[in-house]
Formats: sequence, structure tokens, C-alpha cells
Amino acid sequence: MTTPIVELRKATKKYAGVPAIEEVDFALLPGEIHTLVGENGAGKSTLTKVMAGVVALTSGQMLIEGREVRPETPVQALHLGIAMVFQETSLVPTMTVAQNLFLGQERFYNRLRGIYIAAQQFLQTLQFDVDPAATVSLLGAAKKQMVEIARAVLHKATVIIFDEPTASLTPEEKKYFFDLVVNLKARGVSVIFISHALEEALLISDRITVMRDGKVVVTDRKENFDRARIVQAMVGRDLSQTLYGQRKTTVRPAGKRVLSVENLRMAAMVKNNSLSVFAGQITGVFGLVGSGRTETFKVVAGVIKRDIMYGGEVLLHDKPVRYLVPAPAVRDGIVYVTEDRKLEGFFETKSIADNIYLGFLAKVRGKRKLVSKREASDVGERLIKRLNIRAISKDVKAIELSGGNQQKLVIAKSLVQEPEVIIFDEPTRGVDVNAITEIHQLINRLADEGKAVVVISSYLPEVMALSDRILVCRMGKVVEEFSALEATEEKIMYAAIH
Amino acid sequence: MIDALRTLTDQFLGRGAAAITVPIFDGALKPNQFLEQAETFAELEAPEDLATDGTSLFVADGSSVLRYDGDLATTVAQVDGRITALAILPHGGLAVAIDGTEVRVVGGAHDGRSWSSVAGKPLSAANAISAGGDGRLLVTDGSQAQPYDRWCHDLMSLGRSGRVLEIDPAGGGAREIASGLAYAFGTIAAGNDVWVCESWAHRVLAYGNGKHGAPVVSRLPCYPSRLAPAADGGYWLTAFTCRTQLVEFVLRQKAYRVRMMKEIDPRYWIAPALTSGNTFLEPLQGAHLKMRGIHKPWAPPRSYGLVMRLAPDGLVRYSLHSRVDGKNHGIVAAVECQGTLFALAKGRRRIVSVPVADVERRLLS
Repeated sequence: MTTPIVELRKATKKYAGVPAIEEVDFALLPGEIHTLVGENGAGKSTLTKVMAGVVALTSGQMLIEGREVRPETPVQALHLGIAMVFQETSLVPTMTVAQNLFLGQERFYNRLRGIYIAAQQFLQTLQFDVDPAATVSLLGAAKKQMVEIARAVLHKATVIIFDEPTASLTPEEKKYFFDLVVNLKARGVSVIFISHALEEALLISDRITVMRDGKVVVTDRKENFDRARIVQAMVGRDLSQTLYGQRKTTVRPAGKRVLSVENLRMAAMVKNNSLSVFAGQITGVFGLVGSGRTETFKVVAGVIKRDIMYGGEVLLHDKPVRYLVPAPAVRDGIVYVTEDRKLEGFFETKSIADNIYLGFLAKVRGKRKLVSKREASDVGERLIKRLNIRAISKDVKAIELSGGNQQKLVIAKSLVQEPEVIIFDEPTRGVDVNAITEIHQLINRLADEGKAVVVISSYLPEVMALSDRILVCRMGKVVEEFSALEATEEKIMYAAIH
Repeated sequence: MIDALRTLTDQFLGRGAAAITVPIFDGALKPNQFLEQAETFAELEAPEDLATDGTSLFVADGSSVLRYDGDLATTVAQVDGRITALAILPHGGLAVAIDGTEVRVVGGAHDGRSWSSVAGKPLSAANAISAGGDGRLLVTDGSQAQPYDRWCHDLMSLGRSGRVLEIDPAGGGAREIASGLAYAFGTIAAGNDVWVCESWAHRVLAYGNGKHGAPVVSRLPCYPSRLAPAADGGYWLTAFTCRTQLVEFVLRQKAYRVRMMKEIDPRYWIAPALTSGNTFLEPLQGAHLKMRGIHKPWAPPRSYGLVMRLAPDGLVRYSLHSRVDGKNHGIVAAVECQGTLFALAKGRRRIVSVPVADVERRLLS
């Protein structure tokens, strides 16, 4: 039997005690193209990051050609022959292609002309049509990928990992990219390829591994898979013993249409997207990475801007609105509860009460000439009680809270603004089970009170458990709508990837 | 000045009135196949409108009014022109619009009374009549500029000359409730208000009780037409076709529209239609595109079939569709009679029937 070039045995990686991958066995054979597929959060990226030295294993073994290794940095992994090409390229945009290729390999004295000649010769050996003197920022997505690949090969990588490499490529560029991958294979390089596009996986892979909830569900040769089998493996989880064991039996009837999005466009991420959100209902939004769901609602809430020309319309109560920043959206009653609470959700060195009060001030801007400490304290206490934020006191700093209580704080900061439309983006990511239950109860209560609630989630059971109607996004637009009563995991996933 | 600058900026950037956007069929308007799969109740020569007295279905077909008791049709009235609207009067008799230019009472206590002008203006495109409980008639005169059959010309000319009228058959008086509407098509008494469909503006407006054109339903993704009461409160609203970005674009291109109207046969205009797929000369109706090597259907709808069920406050509760690949298109009237919804697909000159309980069981539970 062939010795795998890279092997993981019982690999487990936990973030703050929560396993991202658990007891995973994985083997990459020499010269094979191995595709990893799975939902968002299935553990694909973590698995590859372990191999690329970006994160270290909590437990388990990693072997290269039968020898146990433990790369702790990407540089160490590169020395072991493993390179990773990230979705967002890691090239320096202001430097030339040649400079990027030799970055980190500089000598004491570098002759620029020499570097260009060497780069030119090297790129020619790979048959990559890229000008070594071109500035990287001026290159298209496909050419940037080429430079990334060339850099990996230059570093004598025997294993190259691609994380969603085709997401930003045009169809022509994709075809070219697949030729490159086949070319790499011919040179004896093993390739791990993460993709949400099943057609791609079935097209170029030798073997496919399907992951779900941090575990490997199945690994098999491409010939033994079809789309139905992959989808089934991606979603076929047993939920009977979990929070999501009960299926929804009733849905709330739709109230007035509060928010409409018509033919919205935002760069390559949102393409002619249209949807409506109704009062008194939870609208669940599901989609894989790159489906444009978060971007659509960030445009709605003024976090990012739509295309300047022909960017489509966002209507609140049938009146067109265009927010360039979130503050006017907040004043009109639209709040966006971010998926990245640490970066965008709160000031970690401020107290709970102060954070909540800052949310309050965003709503009443201009009406408060002076900040009242008593008001801050009262508002903080009221929301802490309402959301059951567990802390020793309201003066505890946000950074000292647990993940679940931090998430509740972010929600409190939004609810204090008395919104009419509340957009929750991944509301229970990195949150413990008790807090998940409480957050779900809160979301349901908001819909019962008549608010228009949007829940964007990558976790299908959560979308199905919470939503009254489910919108499925793919390639920048809503492609399917389900009532919660008719939706199944298979139907939703099928819509998300076809 | 500021408005003019804003208009120019909007035209350049594709914003505001120049944003060629169309609302989506979602939520209660999520497409289904109820109308397409509905049973065909009758196929007629020239059906124009439906009405009911609660026990029988009445159909305006050419110059006749037919009454259906079960499957059996009998002619109950005959007039000297084409009937373009029909209503059953609560105390006996019928009210009909003839050729869009006259409203006449047939039978009952006020038999023979007629009106061919209201508020000093002649009727031009009388297209819907609704009888209130007190016997007064509400009539929509679609356009003052174009006759009944040339509704598409009115749309392409961005017509705004529709009006809603109130006629008292007992006293003979008539008055204009509202005018300057972007094609008035369908009206009903809703409590103390009068609801009117303004088709080219894709909305239903309310008049009365201090309301002067307050939107009840707005930004519909379709062109609404006649209204009828539903059995357990609320209303049925029909739509004879749906909006598309292509038509919205054409509506914003004056030079193109003018030339199209001048040079092209109206059957082949880039415009809404009651039926489509009849000839290859029509604008594209069904097509496909290739995505990742797979052929996917893509169908810019030219004609469509839609009936919406409205709650008493105007909220759309659910809807029945005949989608772009279907045939029961151009729904201009729907009435509920003894638990069955009858819808007139004018594009196919066909009446289809659907049991309301069955629809509600499948859509609402």
C-alpha cells in the first residue's frame, strides 16, 4: 500500500474547548487531487490549517511520509513541503510578481534584474503566462492564484492546499486553473482542494472527503460519488438528541412587508438579489460561503455600500432608502447584529453598561447633549436583566464575559435601539448550549412581538429550527424560498449548491 | 432646479425613478401551480368578466351574460354590444358596461337606465363594476385617452387618465370619486372605503373617510385588475400579468416606445400580454442559460396568471399562480361561489375552478 504523503490520525482541534475537528483520520496520497466538501463550519478549513501549520492540533498525530511532525508555523509547514493558498491571497499587492515570488528568500544583496530573470524562467517552466515585472495589485484573480501557486512550487512544496480557489474566478479563469492543478499533479504534487461547488469536485478530484460537524463522514474515490450522495453525506445528521431534535409544526403568518430588496448589486458578491422581509416572522437565510447573504444584509444596514451605478433598491415600508453608514439605518429601525462580535460587536475594555449605552446613544444621536451616567446605568441594568446577561455586575468589562454573554451583550446593544428590523448574522457562533437556547428564545420572542427578524446562519438545523420561512442564497442571490414546514436539509442544501 | 439635478443624477446612476427594479414574488406571493393545475370549468368565445350572486356564477361572454348552475349554462341577458364589465345588483338585475363606453342596468327595478358620461366626461374604457350593499355602483373607467381594447397603448403612453366613478341607479346620479389614475382597473366597496386598482402603478388605493388615494397594497410585482369579495371576509385580487425588468426598461425609454408603437404590430411589442408563446415573432418568453455545464430554464415572463387573496386590511395572505411555462394566463377576474374560486384566464378564454378549502389547506397549514 502507498504511504500517504500527509496523514492525520485522531486529529482534534478545539477552540476555547469547542471542537472544530474531532478525532479526524485523513490521508493524502502522493500525486492525488483530494477534494474536501462540507457545509460552512464543517471543519474543512481547520483541517487544512492544521496541515499548513496555521493552527496546532489539540490532540492526535500528523505524519508526513510516515514520520510524525508537528508544524507550528506556516514556515515550518513549508519546510516540510506543505503550502496553503488562501481564499484571500497572501501576496503583497504593491510589490511585483517577481518580488512576491522571492519574498523571504532575499539575500544580503539583491539584484532586481536577476530576480526578474529567475522569475521569468521559473514561470515559463510552469507555463504560467504572468509578467514578472507586473505589480500584483494590477493582476486579475486568476493570475494572482498563479503567482501563489508558483510561489508554493518555488518553495518545493509537495503538497498544495487550495481554500475555495475558484470562488472569485470567471468561468474561463476556472478552466485555466483546473489545467494548472492537473499540471501540478503531473509534476507529482499532491493537491487538497476545498470547494463548495460539487461539479468542480466531481470534475477534477481523484478522491473526495465529505466533512460534517468537525468529523469525516466519508472518503471515497470520485467514481463512487454522485451529487445526491455528497449532499446526503453533507446534511444527514441525527438531531434527535440535540437542541434541534424537534421539527417545527407551525409557522407564524406573515405580517406587513417591512423590508424589500430589489435587484441589489454589490461588486461580485451580490448579483441582482431580491427578497422581502415581513413583520412578525423569522426569515432564515442560508447559503454557503460566497453566496452573498451577509453582504446583502450589510448593504441593507449601511455597513457596506452597494454598487454606485444601478445598484438596485432597498425599501423600508415601500420607501427607498440608501444608507452610507449604519447610524441612519439604526435611526430608521434597522439593526445588524454582527457575526464577528469581537471585531465589530463591542468595545472589549468598556463595561457592559457602557457598551449598551453606546448602542442607545447611536439611536438618539443629537438629542443628548450630555451623557448621563445614571441613564447609562439604568439602560444597562434594564437590558442586562432582559437578556439575562450573567456577570458579577454591570461594570464588568466586556472582554471578561463568556462567549455566550458577549453575544447577548451585542444583541442588547442592538435591542436598546428599539429596532423594527433585526438582522442576526450567525447569532450562536461560538456560544455554549445554554446561551444558544436563550438566544433562540429571545429571537422567537422578538418575532412574536411583531418585529421583522432575519437570521443568517450557516448551521442548517438552526435555520430550520428558528425560521418561519427560509431563503436560500447562491452565487449572490436568493435562489429558493421554503416555508419551514416544507423545508428539509436535503432540499435546502440542494438549492444552495445547484 | 434641485429636482431637475436629482433626476439627471438618478438617470446617470440608475437610481430613484431610473432604477430598473422589480419586486420579487416571495412570501405570500411565492409562486405555485394552483391556477395552472386548476380544473377547466368552461371554455368560451369571448369571456370578459365574472360575477356571482352567491349561488350561481355569471359570465360576460361577448354580448351575452351566461348563468351557470352547476355545469349548465343559460343566457340571462343579451345586449347590443360587447360586455366589458359585469355586476349582480343586490336587489335583482345586472349592471353591465357595454364596449367600455356605457354602463347600463339590465333587469330589476331600474331596468334600462344607462350612463355614457360622468362628470361631463364620456366613458371610454369602463372595465369593472362593483355593486355595494346599498345598490350603488362603483365603476372604473380605465383610461380617458384610450378605448377598452387599447389598454397596452395606454401603458406604453404612460397613461394617467383613469378614474373611479360612483353611480346611483335609483336616483340616476353619478359622480367621480377620483381621476388621473394610472389605469383604473377594478374597484370594490371595502367597509366605508372604496378600493381601486391602479394597474400601471401596481397598487390598490383607498378613498373615503379622509383617505384620498391611501395605498392599501403597493409595489406589487404585477399589474392588478379586478377585485371581488371573499366568502369569509377579505377580497380576491387578480393580476393579468407580471412586471419584468425588460418592460420597466422599455417604459423608461421614450424614443424607443414611440417608435415601437408607430412601427411594430402591437402583438409583438415588448409589453405585457394576456397570452404568449403563440408565434416566434413575439419577444422571448421561455429560454435557457447554461451554468456550469448545465442547462437551466430561464423565462422572462411576458404573460402570467395570478390571483391574490387579501385580508380585510389588504394584507396578501396567499396567492395562486399560473407561471411563465403555463397556459392559464391573463387572469382578469375571479369570484368565489359556494366554496369554489372561479378565475377567468382571458388569455386562454377559459374559466378555471379551484376549491378554496383545498388551497387554504395546502398553503396555510
